[in-house]
Amino acid sequence: MADEEKQQGTGSDAWDATQWHVVEKGETLSKISKKYYGDPNLYMKIFEANKDVLKNPDLIKIGQKLRIP
Amino acid sequence: MKSKKYLIPILFVVIGLFLVACAASSKEPAAAAIKAAEESWNAVKGEVVKYIPDQAKGVEDAIKGAKENFDKGNFDAALAAAKAIPDKVKELTAVAAAKKAELAKSWEEMSGGLPKMLDAIKSRLDILSASKKLPGNLDKAKLEGAKGGYEAATKMWDEAKAAFAGGNLADAMAKGKTVKEKAVEVMTTLGMQVPAAAAPAPAPAPAPKG
Repeated sequence: MADEEKQQGTGSDAWDATQWHVVEKGETLSKISKKYYGDPNLYMKIFEANKDVLKNPDLIKIGQKLRIP
Repeated sequence: MKSKKYLIPILFVVIGLFLVACAASSKEPAAAAIKAAEESWNAVKGEVVKYIPDQAKGVEDAIKGAKENFDKGNFDAALAAAKAIPDKVKELTAVAAAKKAELAKSWEEMSGGLPKMLDAIKSRLDILSASKKLPGNLDKAKLEGAKGGYEAATKMWDEAKAAFAGGNLADAMAKGKTVKEKAVEVMTTLGMQVPAAAAPAPAPAPAPKG
């Protein structure tokens, strides 16, 4: 939740409703999927939304900013 | 002295006739001033009533008052009241135009931003609806409530756009504000980040003691 708060209101468009998550140590797309959707199996939704920065769903970096659809 | 006594009623009659003549001389200017006031008001009434209805009522009352004075034969009062109305109308026309411009600017921002919020909510609701479990902050009842809130918000947003298309900017803005509040409520329920432009204003800090 702290990540969410950090992201709120950043950027030039104050109406931008894009949902963001900053990757922390030990996180995987499955863990992030479980956090936001309750279901780790929906990780591909996050991967698909971040194809511009992710080439492989198993390779995410600490500090990476991901869109959460 | 006796002859002077007869002069007094005559004097009253003369004064009376003078006053009637004076009053009659104000009748036509008063009628013309009321007509001019009504014409100036009718030309802009629609726009002014739409954007500043409370102040518009003041002009309606002033015209009504001038007419009442005229009907009672108080032509000077009617003339004075009616003569002031066109200036007031001019002033309110400018205020209404400023209000319209302000609303148009707010609408432009809102109509660019609200669809982004609604899209983000829809995207999240679609995924959560396909999820076998729900995140800790959500249960089935809350999710259903959020779906209902989203549907109500999209319906009202369509109404707001229709109001804008119909030229009713004030109504469009009022509906848009309700959509924004509903969208914020749904996003909060879903644990989503609320855009800064839509976030509720923080409560004022308590006054320092001492």
